Amino acid sequence: MLRCWPVLLSLVTISCGLPRDPEGTSERIAATHELRVGVTDNGEWVDADSSEPNGIEPELVREFARRIGARVLWSRGSETSLAQALKHHELDLAIGGFDAKTPWKSIAGVSRPFVETADMKKHVFLTAPGESRFILTLDTFLTERMRASRGQG
Amino acid sequence: MRGIPERPDAERQLRAAQRLAWLSIAYICSTVALLFMVMGGSQAMKTEFVEDALSFLPPAFFLISDKISRREPNRRFPFGYERVVSAAYVGSAVALLAVGLLLLFDGGMKLAMAEHPTIGGFPIFGHVVWTGWLAIPVLLWCAIPAHFLGRAKRKTASILYDKTLASDAAMNEANWQSAGAAILGIVGVAFGLWWADSLAAVLISLEIIRSGWHELRTAVGDVTDRSPKTVDEKEDDPIGERITGFLQKQPWVKDVVVRVRERGRELTADAHIVPTTDRISVAEVSRTGELACKIDPRLTEVTIAPVEELPDEVLRARAPEQA
Repeated sequence: MLRCWPVLLSLVTISCGLPRDPEGTSERIAATHELRVGVTDNGEWVDADSSEPNGIEPELVREFARRIGARVLWSRGSETSLAQALKHHELDLAIGGFDAKTPWKSIAGVSRPFVETADMKKHVFLTAPGESRFILTLDTFLTERMRASRGQG
Repeated sequence: MRGIPERPDAERQLRAAQRLAWLSIAYICSTVALLFMVMGGSQAMKTEFVEDALSFLPPAFFLISDKISRREPNRRFPFGYERVVSAAYVGSAVALLAVGLLLLFDGGMKLAMAEHPTIGGFPIFGHVVWTGWLAIPVLLWCAIPAHFLGRAKRKTASILYDKTLASDAAMNEANWQSAGAAILGIVGVAFGLWWADSLAAVLISLEIIRSGWHELRTAVGDVTDRSPKTVDEKEDDPIGERITGFLQKQPWVKDVVVRVRERGRELTADAHIVPTTDRISVAEVSRTGELACKIDPRLTEVTIAPVEELPDEVLRARAPEQA
């Protein structure tokens, strides 16, 4: 009984369309099927040099995009330019080996972690700030990943 | 027992107040921990978190000062330690005011810069729910028990004449307002109104500033010996007039000025008296002082100073306050 109320709560509220995105990210993605993702090069997490970004995080983004029925529009930039683009809602996501303590969290939103590395760093995605519905969808996806990664370890 | 009014139920009430203070501390630990867990990127939740964390101070002060203030007077502290509470309160009031202003600035800037608060998912029982939904029951937990705790404290405070406890009670009782504002902020965010969160944060910080200002006035009033106020700080306490009235009725008293000061839970008074004749009995003066002391259970000491004529400095105590 105790375990089923979060499911129930989510079902009821999501079906009422709550929480909503102030800037309508979820609706836009549902209409255009485009997920706008910024990448910046960072070791094994993101290899942004090839024509299509590769690495742990781009793979995750592709899987997430498939889940929500969207294709990924990649753009490259420095951390600063990506954070600014997120703030102005020109991007939906940014990846580049960010961890939960990233200083960009004062400008952009931060997702739930999808993996915790041996050095106790919790890796996250940056998101456009305040898009509650979209971030909830992303967090749900990434939390599944986190469980999977813990199950393996 | 030293430091509490001479009333039959005062000791019992003091123990009740101590229990309430410990209960408050345990309760605040729980609210602060829960708020921290579900705070997310919400400015309103952050402000509520700081407010709750600060409300830790009054019950802690109460317990500490209750121990210190009942120490016996000595050569170094001839008037005892009653004022320790007032000194501590000046500090906490300044802190409350400063933190309130800081949070007002913080929330106001977020509102002005149109910063969207990021409130994401929270994993619970193998499922991810929106953190905002969890924040609402947490905020209710911050508001409802606090209200009843506040009411219980107010009752005890009025029996013990403890103003620090009374202002703590008032803060607890008013906490539903800030928790309510935070709930409205979160619900606003759920409906896609990003500004609801910062607006709620601004309202909560105004509440912090208000109580900080109120406490500062009370605390500064106490350390500057202004004439006593009732325990809720709303009206002037008539104790000065009552002592004056009693002394004027004594056959040997021609004129009198009574000055009363509040020292924590206690009151002390000094009375400058012009006698009707040049010769007065020492026994009579002592007896009058003792009787005057019985007028109110808070009075611990009434000093009587017979004088030929009232000194100017003392006479000014009758003058109205100049703005």
